[in-house]
Amino acid sequence: MFETKTISKGVNVHVNETTQFKTINFSIRFKDRLTEENASARAILANVLQHSNEKYPSHTALRMVLDDLYGTSLYIDTTKRGDDHIISLNVETVNDQYLSEEGVLEKVLNLMYLMLFKPNFENGLFKESIFKREQESIIQRIESVFDDKTRYAQQRLMDMALPGHPASISSNGSIEKVKAVTSEALVSAYRNMLDNNEVDIYVVGDVSPDHITSHIRDYFHFADRQQLPKKQQSQLHTPSKSRVLEFEDMKQGKLHMLFFTPVTFRDEEFPVMQLMNGIFGGYAHSKLFANIREKESMAYYVSSSYASQFGLMFVLAGIDSKLEKKAVSLILEQLEEMKQGHITDVELDQTKALLTNQLKEALDSARGQIDIYDQYKELSETFEPAFLIERWEKVTKEIIAQEARKVSLQMTYFLSGKEDETDE
Amino acid sequence: MNKVDFNQLEETLYHEQLPNGLTVYILPKRDFSKTYATFTTKYGSIDNHFVPLGEKEAIQVPDGIAHFLEHKMFEKEKGDIFQEFSKNGASANAFTSFTRTAYLFSATGRIQENVTTLLDFVQSPYFTEQTVEKEKGIIAQEITMYDDQADWRLYFGIIENLYKNHPVKIDIAGTVASIQDITAEHLYTCYHTFYHPSNMALFIVGNVEPDSMMQLVKDNQAAKTFDAPAPIERIFPQEPKEAAVKERILEMGVQKPKLFVGVKPERLDLHGPEMLKHELSAQLAYELLFGRTSDFYHEAYENGWIDESYSFDYSLESGFGYALIGSDTNEPEKLSEEIKKAIHQAVEKWPFGQEDLDRVRRKKIGFFMRALNSPEYIANQFTQYAFNGMNLFDVVPVLEEIEVVDLQNAFASVSAESQQSVFTIKPPENGQA
Repeated sequence: MFETKTISKGVNVHVNETTQFKTINFSIRFKDRLTEENASARAILANVLQHSNEKYPSHTALRMVLDDLYGTSLYIDTTKRGDDHIISLNVETVNDQYLSEEGVLEKVLNLMYLMLFKPNFENGLFKESIFKREQESIIQRIESVFDDKTRYAQQRLMDMALPGHPASISSNGSIEKVKAVTSEALVSAYRNMLDNNEVDIYVVGDVSPDHITSHIRDYFHFADRQQLPKKQQSQLHTPSKSRVLEFEDMKQGKLHMLFFTPVTFRDEEFPVMQLMNGIFGGYAHSKLFANIREKESMAYYVSSSYASQFGLMFVLAGIDSKLEKKAVSLILEQLEEMKQGHITDVELDQTKALLTNQLKEALDSARGQIDIYDQYKELSETFEPAFLIERWEKVTKEIIAQEARKVSLQMTYFLSGKEDETDE
Repeated sequence: MNKVDFNQLEETLYHEQLPNGLTVYILPKRDFSKTYATFTTKYGSIDNHFVPLGEKEAIQVPDGIAHFLEHKMFEKEKGDIFQEFSKNGASANAFTSFTRTAYLFSATGRIQENVTTLLDFVQSPYFTEQTVEKEKGIIAQEITMYDDQADWRLYFGIIENLYKNHPVKIDIAGTVASIQDITAEHLYTCYHTFYHPSNMALFIVGNVEPDSMMQLVKDNQAAKTFDAPAPIERIFPQEPKEAAVKERILEMGVQKPKLFVGVKPERLDLHGPEMLKHELSAQLAYELLFGRTSDFYHEAYENGWIDESYSFDYSLESGFGYALIGSDTNEPEKLSEEIKKAIHQAVEKWPFGQEDLDRVRRKKIGFFMRALNSPEYIANQFTQYAFNGMNLFDVVPVLEEIEVVDLQNAFASVSAESQQSVFTIKPPENGQA
């Protein structure tokens, strides 16, 4: 899928030459260790770098240049994966051949260079007014989670179940730590990103790998750097409470259940756990959907998801506030079915077919190709869909039941709207 | 089968209207693994007052029925259609909008089986009183879920402010109370009236061979019998030009106020190429006035009147439309005042010239080219345009011929003070949300 070249130690360029898309996609990813402090500084940094640069010192000037480059999309965001915090510069531009104009690509590369290497500095610091404004933006972004009650409930669950664990740290950091970031700390986060972070540069589009790699060498001067040391997998500790009930001004009850599994992304049984989650609650044919929604008419959404980086599984459902106990017992009943190996051939085949379909479909977008390769290159440097599909094919019901028996409920969190109507 | 080449875009569209009235579109994308198909009826939440097929008197049906019908299409005597799609490795779904109900799947294999399942399940209604009753609990939870979503409430709240009589003001899914009145008989009446092939379009985009795919659809349709196509009589109330409600506030459990300023277009009778030109022109005008390069955006962002949730949009259908500008904000009064001021100033003295137009035109062409990477965008947008007599692939040529005066004319339809409204969601007065 991707052809990889190392341009400096710890800096790799991955190119997929393809005519599938009308655009060329770039993603430059800076990887660092995930801590609350680090995430907080880097979230502000991403926004400040995206705002403007030395040549285009106002947001308006920068956006006008992008409009002129046929609405080239350019944004810098932060994500996290496992113990890593990632800043990405993402750019998508129309391939020249569809336009009546040439040289767009070179201009875009130059702009990417300006965004990363020529920031909007004043006396050796990021311009104060921009820093303050973007610091405020990140605080507001974190606060706005409250307005989306599903995200809010999930955050509350994580904060209470696994405080301080990487699984609970937001890629935006925390309000307290964002407020504590100083101008100097922001500059040091910036230097650290350029000088010490592991860098992966992705390019997808109708470009020749040699040509584009030599351009990238010309524009971006990254020094050699050390790889992030392999860190011990963060331990999961059983939460101190097994059930938490909270109230907010809302109508529907939000049920969020947390389970531990000993299987992570790096384990041999990873594909088994993907299938286990799929049969249990990942799809519209799954046990949870068929029973809690279709048979009992109790929910519009009910599903499970598997966070493979940490070996966590979640079940989410939107239900009437009075029905928490009933829902929990029906959900656990379905998990028991999994543990007993009460899985049909049809359920197994459907889930294999949909996992396969989902993977292949994701590869039909440039962003999907980059995200999937970026994740799986750790397991296979020449990752192709067959890498997973062949493993799913071999899995039997018995093996799935065996892994299901290792899944344990750790906490039930219920966010309810009506204090007087819950089934306490 | 008709074949149209769009040379600059390097796309070819195949299409044909079948004897039963169904329009079929096929757009091959050979480098793609997946195929995405939508089977769409021109029937949405606004079609609640109509003359049922074969009858003379118009009837009014309960709010939320088009959406309810969409849910019930998936259940058959032999079971759930999701199971059928899953067996063939397809992800299936459906949605109901103001004007359309679409059934869809995406898959990377067994495309012929999946297309057949799509056609067959949408063309074989099965409703009983028992299955209809059972669905009410599920849909009540769906409605409750949306009731708790502040952004959703904000969007529908501003539309409700703008329209006095038009059914666009009614929630797409109805209310927990209104769906209780829905019966199997209602569903059959709506189905027979609106799911006739002549009121529907099938769009298949992806890794398909057009000739054999068209043949499969033709054979499938020829084996079924339908009534002769008859025009559908829909009844819409008279709608005044002005916004129905100037200002409204809703209290909800949010941490920060949210608001939309909405503007109701004056021209709601447009169709076909004229509609396309108007919609694109108005979008460009709004981009200049409220986009990321506008004076308004700069001032509002730097002063903290808006945050990252800021958005603006213009959308037009037959009989209704709206321009919306809004954000989460700690200063809702100031923000709505500034939005209205920006519109007013552009009405008083038009501020944009050729250079401005050229820039946002380029931006929009780039956006369109990027969107063509998405099979989902192509199928859904093409169908929505086709139901309004427009062709999606005319977007670039029409953009290229638009002049500054077109922006001014379009903006004149979506700017008058009397057509504006403000809807605000605020945290409860008594302390914490």
